[in-house]
Amino acid sequence: MKIIAAIKVSAEAQDIEARPDRTLNFDRAQSKIGAYDLNAVEAARQLADTVGGEVIGLSVGTSALANSKVRKDALSRGLDQLDVVASDEYADLDSFQTAQLLQSALQQTGYDLVLVGAGSSDVYAQQVGNQLGALLGVPTLNAVNKITPEGDHLVVERLLEDAVQVIEVPLPAVLSVTSGINTPRIAGMKEILAAGKKPVNELAAGAAPAGSAQAVSTLAPEQVSRQQNIVEGDPAEAAAQLAAYLKAL
Amino acid sequence: MTEVFVIATGPTTLAQGARALGSVTAVNLGSGPVPGADKTLAVNAAGLVEGYAKPIAELLSARGAEVVLFDTDVQSRLLAGKIASYLGTAARNAAEIKLPNIGRMVYGGLAVATESVAGVAVLVVGPGVLPPLEGGSDAVENIALTPDDAGLKLVSTQPKGGESVNLSAAKRVVGVGRGFAAQDDLDLARQLAAKLGAELACSRPIAEGVNWMPTERYIGVSGATLRPELYLAVGISGQIQHMVGVNKAKAIVAINKDKNAPVFKQADFGIVGDLYQVLPALIAAL
Repeated sequence: MKIIAAIKVSAEAQDIEARPDRTLNFDRAQSKIGAYDLNAVEAARQLADTVGGEVIGLSVGTSALANSKVRKDALSRGLDQLDVVASDEYADLDSFQTAQLLQSALQQTGYDLVLVGAGSSDVYAQQVGNQLGALLGVPTLNAVNKITPEGDHLVVERLLEDAVQVIEVPLPAVLSVTSGINTPRIAGMKEILAAGKKPVNELAAGAAPAGSAQAVSTLAPEQVSRQQNIVEGDPAEAAAQLAAYLKAL
Repeated sequence: MTEVFVIATGPTTLAQGARALGSVTAVNLGSGPVPGADKTLAVNAAGLVEGYAKPIAELLSARGAEVVLFDTDVQSRLLAGKIASYLGTAARNAAEIKLPNIGRMVYGGLAVATESVAGVAVLVVGPGVLPPLEGGSDAVENIALTPDDAGLKLVSTQPKGGESVNLSAAKRVVGVGRGFAAQDDLDLARQLAAKLGAELACSRPIAEGVNWMPTERYIGVSGATLRPELYLAVGISGQIQHMVGVNKAKAIVAINKDKNAPVFKQADFGIVGDLYQVLPALIAAL
């Protein structure tokens, strides 16, 4: 089975700072694979280890994808190969633009199954898999929490808000997995060394597809002013004050 | 007046909220009228609702839809993504709607990215973004759509164990975090919630780290976002990814033993103290 795990490389949120004027400072933020993408890579590896086949990472993005540390990090998590489609035109793509670029890459490389994480670490639209599946015209599901191969198809468990659906999925298909489907492996020294020898395939990068919106601003939320009435000291006394505050609400 | 389309996969207040944007036409995958809609087109779907994405997209195209709204549940989200693809646009999460401008949270709630949408806006609308308004009609037109499930076969649907919870409807919420040393200790928070008439919620590590509470109860950028009248955070440090889910609460109260915890910067009332001493005293005093 040829399993593709989609990966997005973006600035690590915890190292982005909001300036006093509410704009964002990315100076200290490094590019990194999204945490939820690792669930897709792990699910792909586990499935390939069960049924046989190869696991290929596929990433559409900017020149951040040229960073060898980022590439090695991806390849050390269980991928056999990494395919990249990189262009500096591909900054700030929306989910439909990304899906279109993934679609054209997949039509070149072929696939049996595409796995996508729950959402990217920057935008978290949770839509690339859904939009990609519709473009490819193949069976598409989100919130997939378990994947079991059965003959020529898969049986998946899908986690809804109040129920679990069991669904038979013929291949090829696009599945977005939950953050709870597995615990992604942490690469050891052996995997990191081996990652340096795995192939990276740079696919032709065309012009960015037309977007459907104009950016207006990206700003940290306005702080709601809070009373900040903070009490320290005797717990019973503090609790009595809080009880009075709550009763007055 | 803009005709706003609401796609309903189950009970929803979205059409009531959508009245703020224009006249509302609901496409109900179920049967009967959708509250708040001026008119409901009832699909009476069978099988997986996502199979109706293409015929619904065709209907929206034919009617020249400019704004299409979805709830945030799993099935609505997939429908939104597929329908957006068929309409040739992106499905966007909406945390703020001032048409044509849409704001969505990015970088784990660190910022709101605002963009001006060209063409049809396909929006997944978070709870509380469009507060429900009065009005609407019971007018229903049944429509026949032919689904295409692309070979997917629903084998079974098993209700999840445990109780279901609608945090976004709760007026008061008590949130618990890793300040609690053991799962059994959450009883203290339950007693407090019972006294306050509050729902119990938690931070992400409690739901997805130690699994002490179901994921439906976690608050944050990838969990629930709420606007309760009171949010009382116990043993929660107040990371931005969590607070973004409650920072529109009318009143925020924090109890934490670390006086430098960021939660105090966002609290109206805070107690620096050991929750194991403060909570029993507070429960007794209420």
